[in-house]
Order: sequence, then structure tokens, then C-alpha cells
Amino acid sequence: MVSKQVDLPEAVAEHVRDGDVVFVGGFGQCIPFAAGHELIRQGRKDLTLCRSGADILFDQLIEAGCASKVIFGYLGNPGIGISHAFNRAVREDAIAYEDWTNFAMVLRLHAGALGIPFIPAAILRTGDMPGASIEVAEVVCPYTGERLSAIPALNPDVALVHAQRADEEGNVQMWGLPGDTVDGANASRKVIVTVEEIVDAVVLRADPNRTILPSYRVTALAHVPWGAHPSYVQGYYTRDDDLYFAYDKLSRSPEELAAFLDDWVHGVPDREAYLKKLGGQAKRRLTGQSGPVASVSYGFEARDV
Amino acid sequence: MSEANGHPLTDAERMVVGAARELKDGEICFVGVGVPSLAAMLAKRTHAPELVLIYESGAIATNPPSPPLSTGSPTVIEDCAMIGSCLDVFATLQSGRFDLGLLSAAQIDRYGNLNSTVIGDYRQPKLRLVGSGGAHDIACLAREVMVIMPHDPRRFVERVDFLTSPGLRSDANGIDPGAVRGHGPRCVVTSRARFDFEAGELTLNAVFEGFSADDAVEGFNWSLPRRGWVETLPPFEAAAVAIMRAEIRDPIAARQ
Repeated sequence: MVSKQVDLPEAVAEHVRDGDVVFVGGFGQCIPFAAGHELIRQGRKDLTLCRSGADILFDQLIEAGCASKVIFGYLGNPGIGISHAFNRAVREDAIAYEDWTNFAMVLRLHAGALGIPFIPAAILRTGDMPGASIEVAEVVCPYTGERLSAIPALNPDVALVHAQRADEEGNVQMWGLPGDTVDGANASRKVIVTVEEIVDAVVLRADPNRTILPSYRVTALAHVPWGAHPSYVQGYYTRDDDLYFAYDKLSRSPEELAAFLDDWVHGVPDREAYLKKLGGQAKRRLTGQSGPVASVSYGFEARDV
Repeated sequence: MSEANGHPLTDAERMVVGAARELKDGEICFVGVGVPSLAAMLAKRTHAPELVLIYESGAIATNPPSPPLSTGSPTVIEDCAMIGSCLDVFATLQSGRFDLGLLSAAQIDRYGNLNSTVIGDYRQPKLRLVGSGGAHDIACLAREVMVIMPHDPRRFVERVDFLTSPGLRSDANGIDPGAVRGHGPRCVVTSRARFDFEAGELTLNAVFEGFSADDAVEGFNWSLPRRGWVETLPPFEAAAVAIMRAEIRDPIAARQ
């Protein structure tokens, strides 16, 4: 068994280059904040960030100067408001962007994961999006004659994925909402994974339906508890809505946002220090008490490898 | 003015209760967060227990115990029948299996077109908004759409600044045949009234108790057509208002 496990700073230093197209995983839950913050600390530049629905990690990477382009369906502070850093960057003409839809982004990544150049779809045939920041070619179905949009594949250089657990070899398990994480990872050339727990292979192999990525798709694996805070990880900790609300206010001011990034990103060397700073009370506030509800039988005994 | 338990309904509450009663029991609804989600949750707890709620995050046939702040928030999958991927949900949408999409937006225009992309010019906007998300997809692919908007003359405009999600026609000549698969918006509910569409154009159909036809279009910058007879909708049911106030508090309003 070859271990994929490394430190997060090492994984980022080794596998993310300036100018890379980076898929950012997670939808609501499992947003890879720790990996994103490491990009900021290491001063990555000219990244193109992509995913369907983008959370405030995009806002932070834009403000920190890591991203020169964003490709998205939605970019904001979910349920609360806009991305203030993106708003400023657009108004100052300081960032490139492609406005797709969430379905279009899912299809772009799915086409990338399928290894085909495009997927036909019945969207983006009207409205102001085609031609604004994206070009959408038309394709005629060779069987029915139906005219459809040819949604182009997207193959990022590297995917950042956070999940509940993995074994040391790099087989990754996630539950709760997967969003477009699996397609995004499979479309990407390299995949950096952070997890809440490293478990024995026997644990993982006892429930292989839960596995979203086999180890041969994983480039590097890092053990980073609370690596998705302030988003959540199903079964581990809940969403820190207080922080999202506070962020909406502070990120309206570039100065306050810079101070926030100084405090919570540049001011801590790693996630462990971030967690100490977050404090036990906040961790308790976000941690529930409920345990496993039910398990399933596969009809065999799981074996360690 | 509508009242329940002695407290007059706020603008936000009228939108939720007014939109909820437009939902038919058994409909399969693709639900956006915010007021659309509150309305769908209320309908399911009152006259439409068989309503099927689906969120783009992958929460399928769900019944959130409290309103989710965002489509991917933890409560969205509490009490759900299935968790799928975004692709699962959008695939089902595209294959025509969702009866209704519930949307809101920053702007709506006379043809029901929606804008959630920018205020002002696309490249030099006054305000850059969040973008389509799933809204354009829902507008093109759900069998029908219902739009819920606060009564706000800045939001009701003759022509949207940017056409993110298509309504019934983008100009006087209509949109290309085959450009969308669904039937488009069937109605628009505000905090004052219900609108529908006649010849593809937003038309005042009915007002909530306590509002006149003029109130319903107050401040709008074009002459919005009205049905020959604009009915006054029956008062909101006290039981529905009570359930809304007890169980479906807007997570944003709850913090203010």
C-alpha cells in the first residue's frame, strides 16, 4: 500500500502552480477552506477558480489576489447576499469572469469527467448570458434535428476536495450533499483531498458505497480536522452561520476584509493554529451530539488491506 | 388589512402566505431559497402535504424542519427521502419531470424575464449580483414557473438590466421557438397582489385584501395591463399564518 498522506502545505506547494485552473469542491458542506487558505498563504497568483455554486472562499481568494479569473454559475454568500470582493473587482475591471448557470457548470465538469468535448443541453438558448462573457455554440442532434447548446467540457488542472474521511492510501468517503464535487474531481488532472479523519482501510471497505474517489484519482491526501469551517461537514460539525453573517458585513470594506485575512489566514501558520484561535466554545457550538442512525449489511466481512 | 391573532401581516409575510396558496398539492417543485422556500414549506404544512420539494443542492423530496439559510445548508436534508448530486437534480429538471420552479430575482420585467446578474451595465455594473445559479435552468426547463417578488418599483421594470432567466418572450417578437422547454411563468406573487400573463405580458390578476388595483402597481414605470375584473383574494387563513409564524421564520429576518 502506497500512502498518499502528506501535510497540506506540502500538497499545495507541490501540486498547485500559479496560473492553474482550480476546481473548488463542496456544495454548502465540505468547502475546502483550509486548502484555500493555504493557497493564500503561499501567495498563488493568476488562478482561475471554477465550480457551480461558489461560496465565500471565492470571495477570500479574489480579495487576497490569488484569482485572476472565475468561472461559475453562482458566486455569493449563499442565502445572505453578494460577493463583495467580486463586486469590487468587476467594477474595477480587475478580474476576468465567465457567467454560466449551475446546470451548465455541472455539465462542463461532467463532460470533462466523461472525457468528451461537450454535452448538448436545452439551456442557454436565449437570454443575455450567451455572448456576454461566454460563447455557447449550437449543435443539431444528428438523430432528431433538435437544436441544443453545446456546453463545453472543463478540465481543471487541480481539484481541491474536502470530505469526511479517507484511508491512508487515499480512498475517499463523503456523505451528505455531494454537489458537483465528484464530477469536478474526476474532470481534474490532479486532486488534492483534505479529510476530517484518516481511518483504517477496513472501516472504509465496510461501506464502499460511501466512497466517492478511489485512491488512483487522488494525488495527495492531508489530514485536516475542521478543514471546511465555516462551512460544515455532515456528521462532524454544522455550518457557522454567525460567521457567514459577520463576513457579509466585514467584507463590504476592503480594509476590514484585509484585516480578517490577516487574522485568520496570514496570521495562522496552519489549520491547527486556526482551530486554537477559533476556540473550544465555538467548536462546541458547532458540534452536535447525534450518533450513527442505521447501518447496512453487505453480506460480507470487511477485511483490512 | 389582513390580520391574524391581532398582528397585521408584514409585507414579507403576505408574500409567503400568498405564494404558498398558489401551490397545488402533489406538485413536484424545484425550490430556490429565500421566500420561495418559505412558501413551499408553508404549503406543505397546510393545504399541500403531498407537495414534493427539491433543492438544487441535491435534497430530494425533503421536508426541512426549519427554513434553510441556503440551498446547501444543513437543515435542507433533514427529513429528506434522497440525497442526490447536482447532476441528478438538474437531469430530472431537464427531462421535464418537475411541475413547477419557484424563483425570485433582483428584477422582473413586463414579460416575466428575470435578472439576477447585474444592476446597470454588464461590464461596468452599479452592482454585481450573484449570477444565475440554477435560475436560468429552472426558467428554461421546469414545466411552469412561479415568481415571488417584494412589491418594489426598483424591482419591477419594463426591461430588465440583464436577462438572466427567460420569461415568456424577450421582445415583442417573442423568443425563438425551441429556446425553452417549459411553459414559463404562470404567475407572479408580490406582497400586494397576484399577477399572471396575458399574451405573454405581465397582467394584474388579483389583489390581496386591503390593497387596490392601483396599490398593486404603485410606482411601476410602465402601464401594466389589468384583467377586466381584478378580484380581491380571500383573507389569509389564520391557521396558515400561525403555522408560518411558529415554524417558518425567515432565517434572515430572524437575525434582524
